[in-house]
Amino acid sequence: MRGIIQTTLKSGSVVILVLLVLVGIVFVRNFASVDNAAVIVRQSAIPAIAVLGMTMVLMTGGIDLSLGFVVGLASTATGFMAKVWGLPVGLTVAATLLLGALVGLVNGVIIQYMKVPSFITTLGTGYILYGISQLVSAGNVITRLPPSLLAVGRTDLLGFPTSVYIAAGIIALGWFLIHKSVFGRTLSAFGFNSRAAFLSGLPTARANVLTYVLCSSLAALAGLLLTIRVNAAQPNMGGGVFTFEVITAAIVGGTSLFGGVGSVIGSLFGVLIIKVIENCINLMNISYHLYLAVQGGIILTVIVMDKIRSRAA
Amino acid sequence: MGQRVGRILFFLLGVAALAAAGLLVPHFLTPANLLNVVRQSSIIGIGAVGMTMVIVILGIDLSIAGLIALCPMVSGLLMLQGVPIFISIVAGIIAGIGMGLFNGLMVAKLDVPPFITTLVVGQVSQGLALIMNNGRSIGGFPASYVHIGNGSFFGIPVSDLLLLVMMGIGIFITQFTPTGNRIYALGGNETVVRQEGINVDGLKLFVYAFSGFCASIAGILLSAQLDTVHPIQGDPYLLDTIAACVIGGVSLAGGEGRVAMAVAGALIIGSVRNVLDLLGVHPFFQNVLVGTIIILVVFGSGLSRYRRTAPV
Repeated sequence: MRGIIQTTLKSGSVVILVLLVLVGIVFVRNFASVDNAAVIVRQSAIPAIAVLGMTMVLMTGGIDLSLGFVVGLASTATGFMAKVWGLPVGLTVAATLLLGALVGLVNGVIIQYMKVPSFITTLGTGYILYGISQLVSAGNVITRLPPSLLAVGRTDLLGFPTSVYIAAGIIALGWFLIHKSVFGRTLSAFGFNSRAAFLSGLPTARANVLTYVLCSSLAALAGLLLTIRVNAAQPNMGGGVFTFEVITAAIVGGTSLFGGVGSVIGSLFGVLIIKVIENCINLMNISYHLYLAVQGGIILTVIVMDKIRSRAA
Repeated sequence: MGQRVGRILFFLLGVAALAAAGLLVPHFLTPANLLNVVRQSSIIGIGAVGMTMVIVILGIDLSIAGLIALCPMVSGLLMLQGVPIFISIVAGIIAGIGMGLFNGLMVAKLDVPPFITTLVVGQVSQGLALIMNNGRSIGGFPASYVHIGNGSFFGIPVSDLLLLVMMGIGIFITQFTPTGNRIYALGGNETVVRQEGINVDGLKLFVYAFSGFCASIAGILLSAQLDTVHPIQGDPYLLDTIAACVIGGVSLAGGEGRVAMAVAGALIIGSVRNVLDLLGVHPFFQNVLVGTIIILVVFGSGLSRYRRTAPV
């Protein structure tokens, strides 16, 4: 427990979050209420699932630019399977996750075995997935999904929908995977120095491919839950904006840009930070378009601050 | 030697592909359509001039998608306010160079990986383009501005001439100046170049600023062609620009690749899209195709050299 507290404090994301919340309480009307806090938690749940995968990918020194398009693909696929084909809920969920895993496998194999840089691979597959989702959906949005499917993420438990609990469970699993398992340590070693890790006999190739499989599977889960939340399946869900949101959260949460270091708790705080900002922008009724630029500004600030701190040390 | 054989093969393949396209699609090989292909490729081609230099120094510029929207948005809004066209265009170009310089600063001074820096700067630019006119597109520019995109000069579209000029500048810098030599050397081995006492940081700043400059010209040309600036108009051009460089043999392992070849790559992408358009293939399917091509070409071409530097 002390370890968790120390790493989070070191990443600085807690400080940023506390400052932001204070600013929100003082300057933004209607911010300081239990209801609004619950709104922020609900909105953070789905990106929190996706950010886990991105954290792992960034830890390997790679990036996944296709993440948001996996969300769109998963959304399209979910809608199709549940409504058009009328598949049972269990099968729809399983097939959507499997589809995500498959995309991740393709990404991972191209990056690891065909030696194509991750940003090119995932930029390419992102376009491909978006194209496929658009062609499959033919521009249609599928709404009014079956209630049995909606129940997966919307059932109310103690004031929160099930998607929040799913996210909490996934985050706990992710914490063990990244910080307590052999896989997590392999990931770290690979990110710091892939050659050294390989020469030490670690299964680096397998770990690297598995990272992309996990990332896309989590993105597919995020897509599924997002579809359930808004009760609409469409390829435009997620996209580049979602990818960027998740990257921002991971980097603000203290994930190293050079690979090796990542923190699940830090990334979770990263998500909360961007969602608090989004919430403030909404409450203050200013242009939502500000959101993109502000996120970019925050990433840049964090990077510069990080650099200054490491030089001072 | 190997490179020269590669280039001749590339050229022959290109000619064969054009001939095949001509046989397949009756309207493809008409002078009017070919000039049109060059016109459509000019945006990608101009972007590829700057992108080539960035990739040669082992970088990447993902910010061009945002800049292709932001720069003409700056110019367009100024123009609609009644600011003289020339000054408006210069303002747009300055925005591009400024953002490019910022990319360069982050990469050179803070060692931030290029794909992160340029992604973030691209998103900031995109965000600014959206904020400036609250997410709406603008249009109805002065006739002389629209002429840049649609007019002709002695029967040749101004867009094509602009592409030639930008390519000329790129070729001049990379092949006929000491800076060009240093850019290739930097991509080959940064440590050695540093030990030679060359100002590596300055070189990186220049290359990223130049890429921002190219993106601003591409964006302004696009807006002149369409007589519109849409705040997310840059999105489709990112993949095509990188694909143009990669198809033109610019190696992601750094240190090699020619501006002229990247522009040829842009013409190939433009031709492929044109042929698919003429055949009635859906644009989304074209994206699937371009995405696949780029991955396969990188896999095939950079193969031998990238393997040595790639993570195991």
